[in-house]
Amino acid sequence: MSSQPLTPEIVSQEGNAMVLSMGPQHPSTHGVLQVMLEIEGESIVKAEPEIGYLHTGIEKTAENLFWSQAQTVIERMDYLAPESNSLCYALAVERLLGITDGIPERACIIRVLLMELTRIASHCVWLGTHGIDLGAISVFFYCFDLRENILDLQESAGGARMHPNYVRVGGLNGDLPDGYLAKLDAFIAKFPGRMRDLRGLLQANPIFQDRTIGVGVLSPEEAVSWNVTGPSLRGSGIAYDVRKAFPYTGYDTYEFDVPTRKQGDAYARFLVRLDEMEQSHRIIEQARRRLDVPGAVLIDDPKVTAPPKETIALSMEALIHHFKIVSEGFRVPPGDVYQAIESPRGELGYYVVSTGENRPYRVRTRPPSMYNLQSVKGLAPGNLIADLVVILGSIDPVFGEVDR
Amino acid sequence: MPSTQTPPIAGAAIDPPSLRPPIDDATIERVEPAALRARLEALKAEGYAMLLDLGAVDYLERAPRYDVVYHLLKLPPKIAGVSEIATPLRMRVLCGVSGDPPRLPSVMDLWKSADWAEREVFDLFGIVFDGHANLRRIQMPYDWEGHPLRKDYPVRGPARERAPRPAFVNKNNVQAGTPPSGRTLEALQEQVKRIREGDAP
Repeated sequence: MSSQPLTPEIVSQEGNAMVLSMGPQHPSTHGVLQVMLEIEGESIVKAEPEIGYLHTGIEKTAENLFWSQAQTVIERMDYLAPESNSLCYALAVERLLGITDGIPERACIIRVLLMELTRIASHCVWLGTHGIDLGAISVFFYCFDLRENILDLQESAGGARMHPNYVRVGGLNGDLPDGYLAKLDAFIAKFPGRMRDLRGLLQANPIFQDRTIGVGVLSPEEAVSWNVTGPSLRGSGIAYDVRKAFPYTGYDTYEFDVPTRKQGDAYARFLVRLDEMEQSHRIIEQARRRLDVPGAVLIDDPKVTAPPKETIALSMEALIHHFKIVSEGFRVPPGDVYQAIESPRGELGYYVVSTGENRPYRVRTRPPSMYNLQSVKGLAPGNLIADLVVILGSIDPVFGEVDR
Repeated sequence: MPSTQTPPIAGAAIDPPSLRPPIDDATIERVEPAALRARLEALKAEGYAMLLDLGAVDYLERAPRYDVVYHLLKLPPKIAGVSEIATPLRMRVLCGVSGDPPRLPSVMDLWKSADWAEREVFDLFGIVFDGHANLRRIQMPYDWEGHPLRKDYPVRGPARERAPRPAFVNKNNVQAGTPPSGRTLEALQEQVKRIREGDAP
C-alpha cells in the first residue's frame, strides 16, 4: 500500500511520457489494486502494480490462534477457492503430526472432489469477470449459474457457501449429507452442456479473439523467471502441475491430463483454463464413482480430533479428550515443513514452523496470485492501456491472497 | 507507534528446522550469510530456475535471530508433454541472520521474482537486502513504523484511556415499575420534573 512516494523509475520520465494511476478502485482490477503506469500516448512504457490495500495480517493472526482456529483465517486468503487454502494448510499440519498415511480413504476422495469443484467455481468467476471486462456480459450469467450449483453443494456439505471450513486437520468435518450425491450427479450431467455453451460464446468469438490473441505474451523463460505458476505457466507451454509433480491426497490414482498451450498470450491462458475445467470434471466423475463405498472421514486419533458427539455422553475418556481439544487445542511436534498444492491459480504453498506448542509458530504462505501478478511488470510494457485490463484478467489474481 | 502493552509472545530458543529429519520433498541446506550469494548462484547455474518463494521466520531468542528461507524449484529439462513429466526437484536453503538491521545480499538479479518477495520480507521483518533496486514497503503503508511479523511486535495497539462517558448517562433516570401510590402516570411526571429541575444549570 505504499503508493506514496512514487517509485523512482516511474517518476524519472522523459520525452512525452506521462504517469497515470489506474486503480485502486478501477472495476477491472477485481479487488483493490493500483497500477502506476508510465504511458506514451496510448501505449504503456512501464507498469508498477502497488499492492497491499487488502493487507489484513492473516499470517500474524494465525500465529496467535490454535492450530485448528488458524485454519479459519487462512481459508479467507483465496476467497474464490477457500478449500484450497484449508486443504494445503491441513496437509502441512498433518505432515508435521506424522498422520498423513492415517487419513481415511473416503476423506481423501472427498477432498479431491472438493478441490476440483472449487477449481471449477473459481474458474467460473474468472471467466465471468474476464468476459465482462471485454464486454461479453452474458458469459457472466452462464458462469455464475454454474458456480451457484457448486456453492449449493458446498453449503449442503460444509454449512456455508463461501468459507465452509469443511476440511479439517485429520480429515473432514463430517460426512457428505443425504441427497448430496444426487445433486452432484445432476451437476456432473449438467456440466458438459454448459461448457459447450461457454466455449460457443467466447472461443470462436472474433471480438474476443481480437482482444486476446497476441496480447500479453509471456515466453516460457520469462514465465519461469517471474515465478509464474498454474494456468498462466501452462499457457506458456510448461506442463508443471503440482498434482502430477508432487501428488497429494491420492491425485496419482486419478486419470487426467495437464492442458498446455504454446502461444503464451491471454487467449492461450483462456484456453488452458477452459481445458482445465473439463479435466476437473473428469476427476470429479472418477471421484464420484469411488464415493459409493461408505467409510470414516476423520482420523481416529483423540490427540488430534475431538471425539464424536455421541460418545461424549457415554465415555469419560471421550469427554476429557473433547474438553482438551476444545479448550487448548492439540500440540504439534516441533519441526518445519513446506507443503504445496495446485490451487486454481497455481502453486499454493505453506511453510509451517512448529515449536511444539498448541499454536503455529509461523505460517508463511507462498501466494500464487502475488507472483503471477508481479509478472505484469514484464507483460504490460508495449501494450495499450486497454490491453492491461485483458492482461490482468488473464492472470486471474485474487487480492485476498496477494495481500493476505 | 507500537506499544509494549500486550506482552510479546515468547520466542523460540530452539531451532525447529534442525530438530527432525525432513518430512517433505525438499532437499534442505543451511548456509552462512557470507556464503549465501555464491551458493544461490551455483544452484541457479545447476538448473534451479525458479525461486518459488522467499520468506522469513523470527526466532527471537535464538542466535542468529532470523531465518530467511529460499524455496527453489528445478524443472526437469523435458517438460513439454504430459507423459514426459519427470519429477521436478525442490530445494530449501535456510540462512540464519542477525544484526540491527539484519542484512543479506539481494538475489533480484538472479531471479526477477525476488523483487516483491524481498520487499515483503523487508516490510514485515525489517531484513535489508543489499543491492535491491527498489527496497520499500509493499504491504504496509509507506509511513508505517515497525515490522509486524517480528515476534516482539505487539498484537494489539496501545491501550487508550477510556473515553469519558457523556454526562447524561450518570444522571438519575426514570425509575421503572409501579410506584407505591399505584398512580403510575403521576409518579412518572413527578420524577421527570424532578430530574429536569436537577438538570437545570
